[in-house]
Amino acid sequence: MSTLAADTIVTGYGKQEIVHGVSLAAEAGKITCIFGPNGCGKSTLLKAIAGALPVWGGAARLDDTVLSNLPVHEVVRQGLVLMPQGGGVFPRLTVMENLRMGGYAIADKRLVEARIEALIEQYPSLARRRRTLAGALSGGEQAMLSLARALVSEPRFILLDEPSAGLSPAMVLETLERITTLTRQGIGILMVEQNIREAMPIADRLYILAAGEKRFEGSPADVRDDRQIMDIYMGGA
Amino acid sequence: MDLFLQTLLNGLLIGGVIATFTIAFQLTFGVLHVIDFAVGGWVVLGGYLGYYVTALLGLDGFAAIPLAFVLFGALGYLIGPVLYNVRNSRTARPELMALALTFGLFTLLRGGMLTAWGFNTRNVTTFLSGESLAVGPVIVPLIRVAAAVFAAAIAGGLFLFLYRTRYGLAIRATAENCHNAALMGVNIRRLSANVYGLYAGITAMAGVLMGAIYSVNPEVGLRYTLFAFFVAVLAGLGSVGGAVAAALMLGVIEAFVSTYVGSSYSLLAIFATLFVVLLVSPKGILRRGL
Repeated sequence: MSTLAADTIVTGYGKQEIVHGVSLAAEAGKITCIFGPNGCGKSTLLKAIAGALPVWGGAARLDDTVLSNLPVHEVVRQGLVLMPQGGGVFPRLTVMENLRMGGYAIADKRLVEARIEALIEQYPSLARRRRTLAGALSGGEQAMLSLARALVSEPRFILLDEPSAGLSPAMVLETLERITTLTRQGIGILMVEQNIREAMPIADRLYILAAGEKRFEGSPADVRDDRQIMDIYMGGA
Repeated sequence: MDLFLQTLLNGLLIGGVIATFTIAFQLTFGVLHVIDFAVGGWVVLGGYLGYYVTALLGLDGFAAIPLAFVLFGALGYLIGPVLYNVRNSRTARPELMALALTFGLFTLLRGGMLTAWGFNTRNVTTFLSGESLAVGPVIVPLIRVAAAVFAAAIAGGLFLFLYRTRYGLAIRATAENCHNAALMGVNIRRLSANVYGLYAGITAMAGVLMGAIYSVNPEVGLRYTLFAFFVAVLAGLGSVGGAVAAALMLGVIEAFVSTYVGSSYSLLAIFATLFVVLLVSPKGILRRGL
């Protein structure tokens, strides 16, 4: 069983420290959620774990591999994919080209094509629009493309930065359901979400961040029992 | 009427050669986010290489084309990481620092060439120099046709590379969003060095062709830098497709002004055009990107 662990991570932008030593762990096949108010450092923490942002202190580990020593383009080769906010598709590349970029880290071109063919069948809206520029897709389709692209490299962990942001309520449900399906294949999910109401039910474990520090960790049931946490961070949901 | 056709054709043929290095210039901007002032320097270096290949080695000027690509491509590959480091440094205004660096590189190239070779105008001679072909009333200098054909081949090769290979795909993705491309596993630093090398090589190849059509001296570099800026602004910075159209337009404007008004007015006409286009369409004529 793989574990993705962050060990007292300190990071920020420029000289501004934003995350002040946060530790967390995500397990394969489970959904781990990070909640917290705007600007509390959730996305920053996620980027630091994925190597997209330098770590100032502490380290991220995937099992025995220290990710924080690796350049960002090597992290994907360790089996960890970050889906940035908004999905991060390339709008001026076609659907197929976006998917091929998802397999860029894999040397075997034929393997990539085979995986794309297998994947695209599960995403009918993409299969019909292979040559469409990603920028011409709807927000929901872009979210699906982003998810499918993340899967081409067959990652062990996917890090998602607010996958539900900007989606219609129906698309939020579909996206979260697809994410849940992935855990059944053994993929570990670590995601930052604002949409607590929808994300809480699918979470196996959750963390609450505020002002760059961890304020809570536990299972969704623990949160529901904690009136104070519910009132302060969950808006009484 | 004959003169009109003649001028139009000349302009299009020259525009084709200009297109090759402006495409590469746009690609470099897309990937490195640096406006390379040194572009004219690479053109002139290519021209001089063409001259020395004919004068010292006794070879045909066209033989200098692959040599220019290898030599200046390698040089660009070495300079690329420096440019990348400056552009991505934590200084206050890295984009201005990078611009200053390329301006310095341009000055260095120009000064170095003046010192080494003096203010002598050189020609690249090829087996087609002085030959021409009469097509009806229009007389076509064969060297221009050959240069345009070479230019088309280079541009075609570049497009095939960009649109048919995995690495080309990675370059296009990086030009769109380098952070997301890095997340997909692209080594942005190495890619930047490769792109700058590719660009310097292509620009020097275009320089050999330019040297064969006109002539080179260390001072003409600025003219080509201005051409590249004109095309980049007109097409929209970073737009590769627009660069071809804008370069052809540039060639035609230059040819017509030189023929009907006087060549000393060509830069004036070119920048007047740019001024008008920007007034009407501030994003350039074809804001499309790669």
